[in-house]
Amino acid sequence: KRQECSSSGNRTQDSLLSASEAGVDPALQSSFSKRRGKKTNPGFCQIVTPTANSLLTLDMKVQHGCNSSDMGIPVRTEEELRRNTVITPEDVLGLQKITKNYLCSPEENVHMIDFTRFKIRDMETGTVLFEITKPPTPAGSKKQCDPNAGRFVRYQFTPAFLQLRQVGATVEFTVGDTPINNFRMIERHYFRDQLLKSFDFEFGFCMPSSKNTCEHIYEFPALSEDIMREMILHPYETQSDSFYFVDNKLVMHNKADYSYSGGP
Amino acid sequence: MMDGWMDQQTKLAVHLWEFPLMQIKDMSVGMDMDVSGVSRTHVSIRPSAEVKATLKPEAERPRCSSTPCSPIRGTVAGYQILHMDSNYLVGFSTGEELLKLAHKWPERPSEKYPSPAAVSTSVQSTVPRSVDLGVHRSSRIFKAKSRYYQPYDVPAANGRKRRRSMPSSRDTFFRTLTQGKVGKRAQLKCLDYLNLDKLNIKESSDTEVLQHQLQHLNLRGEHGVSKKKS
Repeated sequence: KRQECSSSGNRTQDSLLSASEAGVDPALQSSFSKRRGKKTNPGFCQIVTPTANSLLTLDMKVQHGCNSSDMGIPVRTEEELRRNTVITPEDVLGLQKITKNYLCSPEENVHMIDFTRFKIRDMETGTVLFEITKPPTPAGSKKQCDPNAGRFVRYQFTPAFLQLRQVGATVEFTVGDTPINNFRMIERHYFRDQLLKSFDFEFGFCMPSSKNTCEHIYEFPALSEDIMREMILHPYETQSDSFYFVDNKLVMHNKADYSYSGGP
Repeated sequence: MMDGWMDQQTKLAVHLWEFPLMQIKDMSVGMDMDVSGVSRTHVSIRPSAEVKATLKPEAERPRCSSTPCSPIRGTVAGYQILHMDSNYLVGFSTGEELLKLAHKWPERPSEKYPSPAAVSTSVQSTVPRSVDLGVHRSSRIFKAKSRYYQPYDVPAANGRKRRRSMPSSRDTFFRTLTQGKVGKRAQLKCLDYLNLDKLNIKESSDTEVLQHQLQHLNLRGEHGVSKKKS
């Protein structure tokens, strides 16, 4: 993944059961209808209702103008944020470089948000570039010895990836048994601690015990040849922080680094 | 001794990177889930005939000369890779996977290449967190293997050719590859974010040697020094 997000609106539909066929509680159905009209959620969402055990699709308009220019946001350092009891979206928008450590512990994911599927595709050709799924963790399964092992991923792209203009990222996630208000992700990409681009996506409201799918559109800006060359020549010096917020409070922090050399 | 070590490294490289290309086409999976997210219906991922064909050894499948080696794996530390287009993506790892790699690397005979077990033994020491020395070492091997990789044009759907990598950057890139200097320092940081000091690692019989080797590593400092502000 490179920089820049301008979720430019992409709607897709799956043929799924209607709410009545799925046996959805009318109250829930009503809330679905309300969501349909909102423009705050990017991509489209599939929601599994706890009662129907079936899939419902809602068309969610993609949020426009999520490009974060960080204008007027005060500069923040990692050390400053660590002193805060709560870290807000505005706090991380002020960060000027990749954090050295995680800004929250895995235990702070009190909403039990779990990403179960991820897919990226080239929007120009529709080519699926990568798709991965994670089976649900069985109860009582062996705990990872490193609490941060599950919060870090590494991508090894080829130089051809840097030529792409728009990439759609579809993420599927489950949530715990409490409703989630204002679920939001801010993802910041750096090359050698130089901010390349900041992405800001809102997932919106998520029902308790639901599985949700949303697609975000990353629009990549044109990079100079010099920057691309450096990014290719220096694998894993392109890094990203992904901050997840619920009700403007940081609950998750994932990291990734990237190679564009076409090799490990 | 070095030859034996190299053979072992090569075997690991084969294990990790030489799987046949696996491209599972998009599959629609409809499943009933209960509130805990556990599937109630059996979901079988049935590869298509095309996928089965791709699972054959690479020699049987014609490959474009410009297509790089594709270390496509079916599973990565609990994840299942359903699709990976090697034109754009040749590898994906998780922190857990990288840690496992670090633990698997055998002890290096030379101080120049400390054993990945050193990563685990840094748990109980006060030295700065080591990083993925094993990955660094494996990267040296893989760079050699990808020496002849040629970036290529990716035609757009409308027939417009996308920009090819600049020849100058490609030349420099291969030159640097040959010299083995590409991203060396950067790769040393890949496990910086993992709490290696909290790992419950079985003690190595060569703990003292490995700890001594780790004392010479100051990866965070190296990263800061090596950065060149553009």
